[in-house]
Amino acid sequence: MQLDNLEREYMCPGHVGCPGCGAAIAMRFVLKALGEKTIMIIPACCWSIIAGPYPQSTLKIPVLHTAFETGGAVASGVRAAEDIKGDSETTVVTWAGDGGTFDIGFQALSGAVERNENFIYFCYDNEAYMNTGVQRSSSTPYGAWTTTTPGQQWKRLRKKNIVEALVAHRIAYAATASIAFPEDLIRKVTKAKSITGARFIHIFSSCPTGWGMPSEMSIKIARMAVQTNIFPLYEVEEGIRYTINFTPKGYLVNEYFRLQGRFKHLNEKDLAHIQEMVDEDWNLLLRKAGSRPEIS
Amino acid sequence: MASQQPLTTRSPLIIPCSYLTTEGNKTGSWRFLRPQYEEKTSPCSSACPSGEDIARIQMLTAQGSFKEAWETILMENPFPGVCGRVCYHPCELQCNRREFDETIAIHTIERFLADTASRYELKFGLDKLPEKKQKVAVIGSGPSGLAAAYFLALLGYQSDVFEALPEPGGVLRWGIPHYRLPPNILNEEVSRLQDFGVRIHCSKPVSRKFLKEAKNNYDAIFLGCGHSQSLPLSIPGEDLPGVKNGLDFLKKIRRGDIPALRGTVAVIGGGNTAIDAARSAVRLGSKVILVYRRRQQDMPAFAEEVEMALEEGIEIRELETPVEIESQKKDLVVTLQKMRVAQEDPQGRARIKPEGKKRKKIRVQHLLIAVGSSAAEDWYDLPGKKRGVIKLNNCVLVHRSREPALVYGGDLTASIKSVVHAVASGKEAAMALDVLFREGPGTIESTLKACLVGIGPSLSMEIYLGGPRVKRSHSIVSYDNLNTDYFRFAPAISQPRLLREERLQSFAEINLKIGASLAIRESERCFNCGICNQCDNCQLFCPEIAVIRDQNPQGRHINYEYCKGCGLCVVECPRNAMALEEERS
Amino acid sequence: MKQVLEGSHAVAEAVRLARTQVISAYPITPQTHIVERLSEYCADSTLAARFLRVESEHSALAALIGAATCGVRTFTATSSQGLALMHELLHWASAARLPIVMANVNRAMAPGWNIWADQTDSLAQRDTGWIQLYCEHSQEVLDTTIQAFRLAEWLNLPVMVNLDAFFLSHTYEPVDLPKQNVVDRFLPPYQPRFQLDTEYPCAFNQLAPPNIYMEMRHNIQTAMDEGLAFFDQVEDEFEDIFGRRYGSLEAVHCKDAEVILITSGTVTSTSRQVLTKLRKKGEKVGLLKIKLFRPFPLKAIRELTASAKKVAVVDRNFSFGASGIFAQEIRAALCNHPGHPLVYGYVAGLGGRDVTTAVVEEIYRLTKGNDMPQQESIWVGLHEVDHAIGQS
Repeated sequence: MQLDNLEREYMCPGHVGCPGCGAAIAMRFVLKALGEKTIMIIPACCWSIIAGPYPQSTLKIPVLHTAFETGGAVASGVRAAEDIKGDSETTVVTWAGDGGTFDIGFQALSGAVERNENFIYFCYDNEAYMNTGVQRSSSTPYGAWTTTTPGQQWKRLRKKNIVEALVAHRIAYAATASIAFPEDLIRKVTKAKSITGARFIHIFSSCPTGWGMPSEMSIKIARMAVQTNIFPLYEVEEGIRYTINFTPKGYLVNEYFRLQGRFKHLNEKDLAHIQEMVDEDWNLLLRKAGSRPEIS
Repeated sequence: MASQQPLTTRSPLIIPCSYLTTEGNKTGSWRFLRPQYEEKTSPCSSACPSGEDIARIQMLTAQGSFKEAWETILMENPFPGVCGRVCYHPCELQCNRREFDETIAIHTIERFLADTASRYELKFGLDKLPEKKQKVAVIGSGPSGLAAAYFLALLGYQSDVFEALPEPGGVLRWGIPHYRLPPNILNEEVSRLQDFGVRIHCSKPVSRKFLKEAKNNYDAIFLGCGHSQSLPLSIPGEDLPGVKNGLDFLKKIRRGDIPALRGTVAVIGGGNTAIDAARSAVRLGSKVILVYRRRQQDMPAFAEEVEMALEEGIEIRELETPVEIESQKKDLVVTLQKMRVAQEDPQGRARIKPEGKKRKKIRVQHLLIAVGSSAAEDWYDLPGKKRGVIKLNNCVLVHRSREPALVYGGDLTASIKSVVHAVASGKEAAMALDVLFREGPGTIESTLKACLVGIGPSLSMEIYLGGPRVKRSHSIVSYDNLNTDYFRFAPAISQPRLLREERLQSFAEINLKIGASLAIRESERCFNCGICNQCDNCQLFCPEIAVIRDQNPQGRHINYEYCKGCGLCVVECPRNAMALEEERS
Repeated sequence: MKQVLEGSHAVAEAVRLARTQVISAYPITPQTHIVERLSEYCADSTLAARFLRVESEHSALAALIGAATCGVRTFTATSSQGLALMHELLHWASAARLPIVMANVNRAMAPGWNIWADQTDSLAQRDTGWIQLYCEHSQEVLDTTIQAFRLAEWLNLPVMVNLDAFFLSHTYEPVDLPKQNVVDRFLPPYQPRFQLDTEYPCAFNQLAPPNIYMEMRHNIQTAMDEGLAFFDQVEDEFEDIFGRRYGSLEAVHCKDAEVILITSGTVTSTSRQVLTKLRKKGEKVGLLKIKLFRPFPLKAIRELTASAKKVAVVDRNFSFGASGIFAQEIRAALCNHPGHPLVYGYVAGLGGRDVTTAVVEEIYRLTKGNDMPQQESIWVGLHEVDHAIGQS
């Protein structure tokens, strides 16, 4: 793919995201692929703030800010209205954080996907409630510190596998993507745009503020999440056909964890346990993609 | 119809609905770190004695801009065709890519560019500075003398090059066999210099008297007469008829005086001349034994040359040194003393001692001595430390009142005797003389220091002339400074060569040409350490849309009104062409 | 053309006649007959609307928030628990100034589970910024629902049309069903004042800091104030076309009444019978039906009750720790009005218990017989309970 073809910006400077915000980068890429004929629904999330206060908007497309748990439902309504108006050209998308997707908005998302509403749901995942000050969500990974999993109460539960949950709905298209792999991300958005029905793209979006890392590491960390299999890049069509888009080089998870303050309490044993979980998930994914699991 | 008209007036709506963009928020005020474009020095260019801008040459080659790439070489080195063949390429040893997979074949690309320029008869477009009144005499038309004359011409000075032999080139012509450097290549490069204004006077040996008379005609004299005098072995039998010195042997071959050589040849020595003589002898039909007093790994000859010599069937006898040569009928019997490694010097080179009385005799038909050389005339010898003597990295300058300045260069001053060091010497001399003529001797050293490539000792003419390279930081990009996530493993191209059998038949050039696609593929492997190749990552990943493309040579600038100083652009620059500094409020 | 319709079907017919474009709903007893009928109309193309069968009432309203922001005519129906689940988005819809029309079948809140008539569900949402209308019979349900779209779209405020569970929703009555072309005259296509538009991209509902939030809220209050006058004009026009009007308040024999019964919903019909009976006996009693609860027609209430000595407010709803909710509103309306009547509050008919003529007569008797209200609300007809935990 030629990124040069995607010169146009649909975001203005002056937005109020934190320095190095992965969610801002994700938005920039996604809009380049979607283009101007897009209506975006933003339930409560960091982007409710990033987009700018009244009377501003940093985006050059129409945006509907909505309540936290309504991403799937509001988009359904917008799509219905656009259909009734005879506008089939406009792409309706929801842009939600992990809390609004994995937790409070999961019901509305599940409903919309079950109804096969003709829209794309983007979840930019920064693995906690960042906008409210880094509280744990069901997307927060095993091992992470948050303000509600402090000290020795760090999260000892797995991150919810949202893509698999939606694949279980036989969703028309589901994919993971990363801000560190813009070509892959833009290809997936472009592909999703060409498909009719419910589509879901899960974008790993680093958060320097919440993860306790320097802002300049945003992309590096996102890349490492893919390289280590912590966040594999893959896509699933019709809930059946799996394609793995990036075959990792077999990096170990330790380095990824070492660079982030939210994991600094983890010891070697914890990391070994996490490595086991990552390997297990990867092998499960390989099986689904029809590949032979790796013996670890 | 009542329903068609408003029944009552209604108030305007005040709702949360945008009518402005966020462009009014000057988020640049958040910044406490400031990213900026800051090109740095690649380790290869710093390692190149003549300071070639290798990262840029590779970038231009990868873009298919072969002429521009070739001219970039010419800015620092007038001999891409020669150096693309005979340089021992210390650049490749420092290539950051070695830590990733394999070095870039810089040497091969240099030769490719020279071949391409030759094939398409490219004319180089470097502009000379306005003509100056000072004139310089250059003694010797070897690589250092020609380089000095070339760079002087570039700086606007006229010079006369005096060559004792009937053709120009010095060691390039007489000391390097054709299979490494075909004569047409040298001729082409020399005539390009002549077209550029370098005047060469052949068959004009220069005497001590000339120096005395020069002050009437010249403002400076560059001594680049090289080491043409072979050193003797100083053992009995050295004067026997079958014993010759290596340099003379090579010179005779170049003249066509030795069509064939039968029997067994012993070559004494481990330098490049020894290897060249040995490999030439093989091509003339003889069996060759190379005798070296230290170990093979200690040989001053370039390792690649030694390897090829072995491939070509030359037998290397290490840790042996001749002590006597006797004549028996038509043969020579050489007595070899076995040596042993007493210790290693800090560089790992062996210090040797005779191993008791262990001796051995070999019977050969010819013996070639190539154990080193020195200046042919004693007045070529360097002056000691005294007033008016400025010792630079690659030459020594003597300035005297009411006398022409004298610069000793080339092999006379070089610690490593290589073509590229000779070029470096000529370039340094030209710069030093220019400073001397314009400002006097006081600022020579400081001016040259500012032109170092990285930490030196190589110098850049482009920097001296205030070209774009001036802006580059002297800090050298290390492997850790790179973001190697953007590079994929790819093996280096291997230099295509004549088969061993083909090599032994003739003096045909061993290394073959490569095509443009291969050259592009190889130069694409280059990390372009420290320089911007317009990959656009900074623009792509900027969360603030604060990297703006424009028409300036950088191709883009940072909009500090909005840049929050996150530093992503700097980290995601694959090649360390940016820097993050603390914001000065 | 007269038809015999359930109250639920009267809602559905009105929504059809309004050419509603997007409907979104989740089933709850006793609202189901509304959405079933509308589903049929959408299925057989009688109504060219998109019907979203969402997974909750919350999503039902959320979907309409999306649709209405695109500038189309929208409708949903719910009841009780469903309305309570919508609570967050009720605020959202009004503050986003979306003209969504909703039918709420007034049903009791659980626990214990109770599907029968009770107004506490909608009255608990009185502060969400919705226009609230309470209907007495099926014809009024139909007419009010059609009017609701005019109100909503002109004022940019959502409208809730309330009808009592079963007493109205499941009761068949003869209804004059207007023709489509006549309704079209009254209700032209929706002309939105704003909408999501890729040609003119704006963001809606973003962060509103303290420097603007109050003005936005005051703007809603202004619309509510304008709504009182506008409601009357809508009724004038409706009357011109359809020959019917209801008024935001309906006063029966109030001018000379010493005691005025104040009612809403189906209790009004029962009260009408009692009124006729008592008037025949020479009692100076009047009846005030409150149809428009938000905006509250405060001035009109003051004027219509000005000559009475006492008002008896019948509430099929309750605010725990205070009193019946209509009674509170009436007290608040009258307190700054010199010489206002005494306000007697009665709670009756919660959770679907019948408010019979006898109950209303008892209320009148208690009001007439007491010189001062004994307590804020009297619970009428409470039974003895056989078992209570901790009872000795």
